[in-house]
Amino acid sequence: MKFLLLIFKNVRRNMLRTSLTSLGTIALVLVVTLVWSILQFLADQTNPKKQNIKAIITEKWQLPSQMPLAYSASLRDGAAKEEGDIHPIDSMTWQFFGGSMDPARRDPKLRMFAFALQPEKLLTMMDGLDALQGEERRQLEEAVEKMKRNRATIIMGEDILKQIDRRVGDKIMLYGVNYSGINLEFEIVGSFTTARYAKSSAIDCEYLNAALDVYPSTHGGEKHPLADKTLNLVWLKVENPEAYAKVAEQIETSSDYRTPPVKCEVSSNAIAAFLEGFRDIFWGMRWILGPSALISLSLIIANAISISVRERRMELAVMKVLGFRPYQIVILVVGESLFLGVGSGLLSSGGTYCVVNLIFGGIDFPIAFFPKFDIPLAAWWWGPAVGGAAAILGSISPAWQACRVKVSEVFAKVA
Amino acid sequence: MSVSYTNLIPLLIGMSLVVLLVIVGRVPVRYNVRNLSVRWRTTLMTGLAFTLVIALMTGMLAFVNGMFRLTEQSGQPGNVMLMSEGATDEAFSNLGFADVGQIELQPGILRDEASNLPLASRETYISCNQLVENPAPGRPRRRIVQVRGVDDPEMSARVHGLTLLSGNWFSREGVIAGAAGGQNLVQAVVGEGIAREFGRDRTKEVLASAKNKLRLDVGDSFLLGEERLAIVGVIKSTGSVFDSEIWAKRARIGKSFGEENYSTVVVRTAGPEEAKKVKEFFNKDYKDSALQAYTETEYFESLAQTNKQFLGATIIITAILSIGGVFGVMNTMFAAVSQRSKDIGVLRILGFSRLEVLYTFLLESLVLALFGGTLGCVFGCLVHGTKATSVVSGGQGSSKNVVLELLVSGDTISIGLLVALLMGLLGGLIPSLLAMRLRPLESLR
Repeated sequence: MKFLLLIFKNVRRNMLRTSLTSLGTIALVLVVTLVWSILQFLADQTNPKKQNIKAIITEKWQLPSQMPLAYSASLRDGAAKEEGDIHPIDSMTWQFFGGSMDPARRDPKLRMFAFALQPEKLLTMMDGLDALQGEERRQLEEAVEKMKRNRATIIMGEDILKQIDRRVGDKIMLYGVNYSGINLEFEIVGSFTTARYAKSSAIDCEYLNAALDVYPSTHGGEKHPLADKTLNLVWLKVENPEAYAKVAEQIETSSDYRTPPVKCEVSSNAIAAFLEGFRDIFWGMRWILGPSALISLSLIIANAISISVRERRMELAVMKVLGFRPYQIVILVVGESLFLGVGSGLLSSGGTYCVVNLIFGGIDFPIAFFPKFDIPLAAWWWGPAVGGAAAILGSISPAWQACRVKVSEVFAKVA
Repeated sequence: MSVSYTNLIPLLIGMSLVVLLVIVGRVPVRYNVRNLSVRWRTTLMTGLAFTLVIALMTGMLAFVNGMFRLTEQSGQPGNVMLMSEGATDEAFSNLGFADVGQIELQPGILRDEASNLPLASRETYISCNQLVENPAPGRPRRRIVQVRGVDDPEMSARVHGLTLLSGNWFSREGVIAGAAGGQNLVQAVVGEGIAREFGRDRTKEVLASAKNKLRLDVGDSFLLGEERLAIVGVIKSTGSVFDSEIWAKRARIGKSFGEENYSTVVVRTAGPEEAKKVKEFFNKDYKDSALQAYTETEYFESLAQTNKQFLGATIIITAILSIGGVFGVMNTMFAAVSQRSKDIGVLRILGFSRLEVLYTFLLESLVLALFGGTLGCVFGCLVHGTKATSVVSGGQGSSKNVVLELLVSGDTISIGLLVALLMGLLGGLIPSLLAMRLRPLESLR
């Protein structure tokens, strides 16, 4: 306890140096927290799960995946035909509808993208939305109910609502961008508050499909060019890896899906393949940016502690005369450094968690189909851990110098 | 290596400040140098912090520069890209056979002097999932690659300004006979970047007998979808998206992927102004079919959204790292002032003015910054020319996986030095002001 008090007093002794070191630590831990948050989120997405596995079915060879809508019903049932075949516990289809409020479809600010899906699946199959709790969950349920009652409705991400300057309750007209000639009117019935869907929207797939059905009647009997390839993805939820393996086999060996052929993979694999293009960027973030910030941080702390040790050579000599053992001096120096590193680290990562998540609504760094990244709860311990580790690294050499202070030399100089 | 005026002028001002401090300050520079060398540990640690921040910034900017160069160099100024109406990217475009024939006959499109054929490239762009034959441990089993099916590869290459590094363009048939009893192989010409990427998939045994260890080369083959493609040529790198593409006979490769229509026609006009006119013509006056025309430079500029995003992230990260560095320098300089308060007192008694004391400490901080910053730029330059994978995208679902070359430009170095000087100035100014305000007698006590 006495040691802790001594450490605390020493840290307070030069408030200017303490503040500067602390501010430097806060800045560098902030970089590490931001980098790790993005990497952690992506690692979570690409790590296979053991239960409630989500599988994605897409066109086997081509991107964007465009399958006939006729595949939908049987794929949603995991292509289960025979007795003993496994049925998924839940499923959802995605069709991508790009629309613009600008009839000429030129103004990029008025363009948006929507998932056309089964409205009720927003609550059970959409990553992130299925885990919503409390008021956010209630609001989403309310919006989904409205969507089920009226097909011509849309739920939009908050960023999109801001971008087009509209609010829940407003009506909009979307002129099809990818579905040229399919223009749909919507009432906005809700908003996505989570960062991940801030730039996305969701519509009822039946509304889009009904519009595709009536298209020939207004276009001389000709089907819409995308009518036979409107199904983009099918999502399945299965209980465990064994069930997934069986369902994947059912689908990939079925003769019903030949033109085009399809593939079934766990969502983590699909995401990993999609992110492969960013491989070198993630490598740089993980192995260069993060460690460099850590080394810089260690240097700053080492510098501050070294200066502090140099200035206190006389005091350290007196401590030795008073009977302090070298290891106790090491603990004292490392303790001061740790106090600074851990405290500033906690302040930095905790502050980042609050400011980024609560004020900015996530890190605005769209990669692949992830528009924003939240700072995870784990950041609360990353900061102190990073600050602490850098503090120990940075204080090893000064602490060694401190414990090797020779009383006779110091006092000889004074004499 | 050129430097733009917007970067050069602030750098020159910063450097002039250092020179001015040397000239105006009467305290000998030797005094600062000796102080820095006596406290070599602190000098080294502070200098290293500068080095790290600037080296990181240089590396990140080199990556962003590489991406911008890629999107800038991909578009030929006189080219116009024609897609189906509403298509924001060639991946979503679908043109009919009859439409393509009509497009090439329109005015404003250049013709080949010898054959009088229009300079037009008929293309089917396909983004494919490729099974990686020997993925490295922990890496995905498939990757996304871009395939461009063209009818006349020589004409298409001419329109896009591409030449071959080795081999030949594929034949009229686009296939070659496989080994005895085996199926025919589709002929392919690959970009240098993607050939290098594919080269990594080879096993040690294959690599040992490979004639080109760095990348796949003429004579090698690879799997794409359910087809095996034989490389008959490698496109010479131009630092464009085409370095990351596979080219094959459209009639063959399109069929394999169920894409039998054209996605794009790229036509060559006399220059940028003519290209704009041709674009306007197709967007407003052309009535035979509903088309969406873009100048090629405009299209590739639209794919720079990821670049801008990475540039923004680089600026933010560098700013935060620099702020951390500034606090580190401040610490060092405050300690220098406090350790040398007696020196300051002596200097003042010897007749040096307050301003000269300020200059000497500021100069020390700037020299430290310049030293660390220069070293950072030198380390940063090591990434110049290295290859990296990335994705360029336009935010409307259009994206291309690319292999790019990192580029450390004159601007990157000048920004690095400028940031270092700024860090030195900000970190040194307050301690220098403190030193200036010290009273001689008090400091000597």
